[in-house]
Amino acid sequence: MTWTNYIAGLAALQPFLAIFAAFALPLISLLAKRRQIWECFTLTILLINFALSLIVFYYMYNFSCKPLLYAFGSWPPPIGIVYTIDRGASLIGLLINGLVLTAMIFSIRYMEHEGGTQWYYTLMLGFEAGMLGCVYTGDIFNLFVMLEVMSISAYGLVAFRRETHEAVEAAIKYAIVGSVATTIYFIAVIFAYGSFGTLNMADLALKLKDSTLPITGPPIGDILIGSTVFLTLAFWALSLKAAIAPNHFWLPDAHPAAPSPISALLSGIMVKVAIFALMRYMLTIFKGTIPTFPVVELLNYTLITMGVLSTILGSTLMLVQRDIKRLIAYGTILNIGYIAMGVGLANLSGLVASLFHIVNHAIGKALLFMAAGAYIHVTGSRDLDELTGVGRRMPFTTAAYLVGALALAGAPPLSCFMSKLLLFKAYLESGWLAPLVVVIVLTSVFALMGYLKVFYHVYAKQPTRDISSVKEAPTLMVVPLLVLASLCIVLGIAAPIIVDNVIVPGALSLLNTQDYVLAAQEAAKLIMEGG
Amino acid sequence: MNFEIFLQLYGYLALMVIMVISLYGIVRGASLIKKLIALTIFGDTANALIIFLGFKFGEIYPPVLPTLKPTLEDIAWFVSTAVDPVPQCLVITAVVINMAITMFLAFLVIQIYRLYGTTMVKKIAKLKG
Repeated sequence: MTWTNYIAGLAALQPFLAIFAAFALPLISLLAKRRQIWECFTLTILLINFALSLIVFYYMYNFSCKPLLYAFGSWPPPIGIVYTIDRGASLIGLLINGLVLTAMIFSIRYMEHEGGTQWYYTLMLGFEAGMLGCVYTGDIFNLFVMLEVMSISAYGLVAFRRETHEAVEAAIKYAIVGSVATTIYFIAVIFAYGSFGTLNMADLALKLKDSTLPITGPPIGDILIGSTVFLTLAFWALSLKAAIAPNHFWLPDAHPAAPSPISALLSGIMVKVAIFALMRYMLTIFKGTIPTFPVVELLNYTLITMGVLSTILGSTLMLVQRDIKRLIAYGTILNIGYIAMGVGLANLSGLVASLFHIVNHAIGKALLFMAAGAYIHVTGSRDLDELTGVGRRMPFTTAAYLVGALALAGAPPLSCFMSKLLLFKAYLESGWLAPLVVVIVLTSVFALMGYLKVFYHVYAKQPTRDISSVKEAPTLMVVPLLVLASLCIVLGIAAPIIVDNVIVPGALSLLNTQDYVLAAQEAAKLIMEGG
Repeated sequence: MNFEIFLQLYGYLALMVIMVISLYGIVRGASLIKKLIALTIFGDTANALIIFLGFKFGEIYPPVLPTLKPTLEDIAWFVSTAVDPVPQCLVITAVVINMAITMFLAFLVIQIYRLYGTTMVKKIAKLKG
């Protein structure tokens, strides 16, 4: 055992700890009936996970340029399940842990009038475990399992207010569509296994290049057909999970129906986890490996088309919404379109823009949903017409909302402006795709109009009803908002430093198939010689 | 031999047809119960597909090595007679996951029936508001 094994172990510990806590919490709630105890327990686990992911992130960026590999039960890679943690994965892992922690702190006061919060925190911990597993895993079947863990928790959280018509209806729609998507991903895994004879991602990449890990032999079927079917089905399933148009139809119902902190998590990172898995397949594993049949290139162009479609649909439909949370949910479709457009370029500049936009949009969107949650918590309404003027009585929340809205719309010194600029530059350099920059600019303008419509209603417009009883949201809700808002500003102002030191190395590690494969080979060799 | 190939082709074709029918059922089912049934059929078809993939015709023994220190001949015999065990592990996992989803969806259908008094999709869409 060397030092690096421990670091990889710390990454693998995070999903385990979260799922362990998720199973322990209902038992604890049988013994201790006080919600403070449940909250303390969840908060402790999430803090430990955050600290672990911070250590992994720090180590990956400072001491290790190669991906780390954790083999479960010390089975060598193609036989056992492995977690492969590279810089990009450690970055997204940190983002997931940070946002779940913030949403949990926000939930303490937000859920104070609701019953059954032990189940709420149980599902939240399961949700975190699923997302972390999806990001860290290096095994295509384990990705399916973790996708299901994440999705089932998400269905449960959307249906959490089971007495309301809206939540149950949104949850059943989301659950049927989502489980069809995951079953289709499972069928894709069947095709990959039937043609390659392996479930390990590194082994897949090696078999495409006519070599293998130790232990396994050559592919058992036609890898051309196998990889084409696998990629196409997996692309469809993951694009549905990521809500890229035309597979976005479930999102505007499901995301607003959940409690606000959960909407923040669903819109903030869950869709990005699916995009990250897509990046893993299209940019790390299958990139440039099948020259005779350009399925990856075709899928890249499909992704760009779908991305453009989502930006246009999301930005125009945003303008006509009357429900504050539905409006913000349409903003997610718009921004996932930008990310898809960046991934579809399949080069470094596009990927850097996408990765940076993932971070910025996750923070900005979580901020907006939580600010909307603060308005809803105080006034009890989601209709924009009933929220008129309440922003004047809630200065901190409104200030945080304004920062988030301007950041997401792309106002110059703030975070999303920088990532949109990178995307703009990537498209200008891309040759014949350059005219698509018009889409980026135009949809940003629409987004600004949509977000400022909310600001106009809650702040500038004359109140239509008596708002003298409205007070600022509780401190435990305002503090997470202000933390996220300051992150939006810092990510914008320090963008050049962050892009050079964090985003570019992360994107490079995602594009580096060679190191990814080498890590698996070395680990397999080490385990075989050791045991 | 020809019969085996025919059987294999027939199996794959039948599974594909069932898959398409169940997808149609999920999309066009009039009642939520019917959608739920179609969804379980869809999941089970995927499981049957991967079991079919690992299946072998002819003389089959369980995937267990009978000796503690196998020689090369033992391993060759093992590989030629045993069924691939990996698909069975995958199916066990997938079945458990399908059960969780089916239970959750069944609960939601009951809840919909409590709230709306019907499980017909069109009537629920009309009642929305």
